[in-house]
Amino acid sequence: MTLGDRNFPLPTPRRSFFKKAAAISATLGAATSAWVAEPDPQSASVGMPAAHAADGTGPLKMAFIQWQPHTVPAAWSKGIEEVLKDQPQTQYKLLDGQNKVEVQVSLMDALINEGTAVIFLQPIDSVALAPSINKAKRAGISVITLNIDATAQHAAHVEMSHYYGAMEIARVMGEKMGGKGEVAILNAPPGIIIRDQRTNGFVEGLKKHHPNVKVVADQVADWSRKKAQDVLATILNAKPGLTGVYGVNDSMALGAVDVAKEKGLLGKLVIFGNDGEKDALESIENGELTGTQYTDVYQQGRFAASAATVLASGQVPATAFKKQAHLLMPFVIATRENVKQIQPSQRW
Amino acid sequence: MIRRHGISALPIFFLVTFAFFCAVVPRFATAGNLEALMAGYAFIAIVAMGESFAILLRGVDLSVGAVMALAGMVAFDASLILHLPGYLSVALALVVATFAGVLNGLLIVFLRLQPFIATLATLAAYRGIVFAISGRQLVPGLSTTALDDPWIIGLETYFDVGATLGVESIAVPAIPLSFLLMIVLLVLFEVLLRSTRFGRDFYATGGNPEAARLAGIDLRRTVLIGYALSGFCAGVAALLLVARLTTSTEALGNGMELTAIAAAVIGGVRLNGGMGSMWGPVVGTFLLGVVLMGLTLFGISQFVQQILTGAVLLAAIAHSRWLQSRRLLPSAPEGS
Repeated sequence: MTLGDRNFPLPTPRRSFFKKAAAISATLGAATSAWVAEPDPQSASVGMPAAHAADGTGPLKMAFIQWQPHTVPAAWSKGIEEVLKDQPQTQYKLLDGQNKVEVQVSLMDALINEGTAVIFLQPIDSVALAPSINKAKRAGISVITLNIDATAQHAAHVEMSHYYGAMEIARVMGEKMGGKGEVAILNAPPGIIIRDQRTNGFVEGLKKHHPNVKVVADQVADWSRKKAQDVLATILNAKPGLTGVYGVNDSMALGAVDVAKEKGLLGKLVIFGNDGEKDALESIENGELTGTQYTDVYQQGRFAASAATVLASGQVPATAFKKQAHLLMPFVIATRENVKQIQPSQRW
Repeated sequence: MIRRHGISALPIFFLVTFAFFCAVVPRFATAGNLEALMAGYAFIAIVAMGESFAILLRGVDLSVGAVMALAGMVAFDASLILHLPGYLSVALALVVATFAGVLNGLLIVFLRLQPFIATLATLAAYRGIVFAISGRQLVPGLSTTALDDPWIIGLETYFDVGATLGVESIAVPAIPLSFLLMIVLLVLFEVLLRSTRFGRDFYATGGNPEAARLAGIDLRRTVLIGYALSGFCAGVAALLLVARLTTSTEALGNGMELTAIAAAVIGGVRLNGGMGSMWGPVVGTFLLGVVLMGLTLFGISQFVQQILTGAVLLAAIAHSRWLQSRRLLPSAPEGS
């Protein structure tokens, strides 16, 4: 049979085919419905058991839309769950943004339609999620952003104190460097508020506390340990007199540590990170990484959940907020001297 | 006439799935949710239609995601850096997207590269260009500036059909402009493929290129136009998405090519080329949308959702194979 054959006969078992196709689809549908009719809440969704949702008055629904699976949002979620599980009639679930902005926007739409009371959000992009946040606000839903702010005003923003923390890092780092020297910054890709906050805080901190410490390089290392290794190796070739490195997150700082170990510069380079990951704290204890800004991320989740509960149970509508609340998490600049004070249960 | 449609069980399966979710999942059959479904998936359906052009030609276009980002960033830069009027930014973005598609076609036709290889290369190249021209990185402060040009933002409007028709008793979902645009493109493309000489040449080129060549069809022109259309659709989808987000990001459209290909395959567009319609990818996209949104509202974990999406894709391919084995669809002709 070729394309030129115009007399291709219709198959005779056509009618029974349609019947079969319909039967198969219906069976599939029924089978799926039987399978999902009693979802096991514990395994079906990450979060807490679902109470019976009635329209209007029902359990308070809360959800967290993360950027993508990572230790930080996982720890936030754990903190949020710890607080919410003690609240009566509260339902919570964790949703994944799959690193795509349009997925986060779709999930926001779904949550708004579901009648969620509070949405925790880690926006992938501060501007792109603004229309969705405004939509949620119009529907009376409070939005609490974690770590990454959005350009639309919302109920609260809970962050790791990026700006002031970075200033503190600059102060402690300058002290460790003896008040003078050359520093390279391993930075995040531009276009995200958190990067500007952490960089500006650091630069201004240096200007304020240690004006003799100069920033001689500021290169993008994409938040990644591997990329940071390559970038720093290149910087060291260009600036052999480097005495300090500031990685805007811990992964990049650990990449710098790798390079320092390789080149035998561990004693000479003062390396600071930002975040306070478990690996970073371990590295500090081993005398490799000099320090980092540590925030108790579980606590951050707990604070966010507490704020959410106050808003939801107090029935404060999202439209009541005249200005957005900013909650800056307490932090500690962890160095060899004080890293032991951070308990294992606090490490993430 | 040879039936050029793909799977005909697809609309039935779609309706069954839709009905199932309406019945079982609370708040699925609400106006708000249907609006969200239409707005969230219309632009993906447009990309799927564009991708189908490439697949019908027995090729593939892996660069659609990168072309989306390119078009989006061009519109962003034109509006916020060059301060061009909105209609120019939109036109420029579409021209760039179409040109990117033509470039794909040129690589395939004149350098005789395999479509997979050619579009894989352009995927990386276009993404690189996006980073290089990104206004968000070139001009500090633009990364927190929203687009406000009415020509672009106006693409994200909803038409209150219920109010126009005077329907008071039930809440009728407002139809997004992106959905209407998708319908228009669907009709245009279907007419192009079914009722024009070009459409016949198109199917012939994809189904049996050697026979098409011998029949005097200009293969080069057909392939170029096919990939140009793919690029154009990516451009339209990019503008719709940028309007929805009020910004463009460097990672825009990441992974869109896989979604588009999946939707096209579910829609019955054969990977061997020459078989399929424009309806299929559209229904395929909304099937995926219904499944994903329904499962999210039902509380199913997103990781399970991704498994189910894969299962739907496998089921669609198995169904197509089954239809072929029962001689209800022609298989690939021999000697081609």
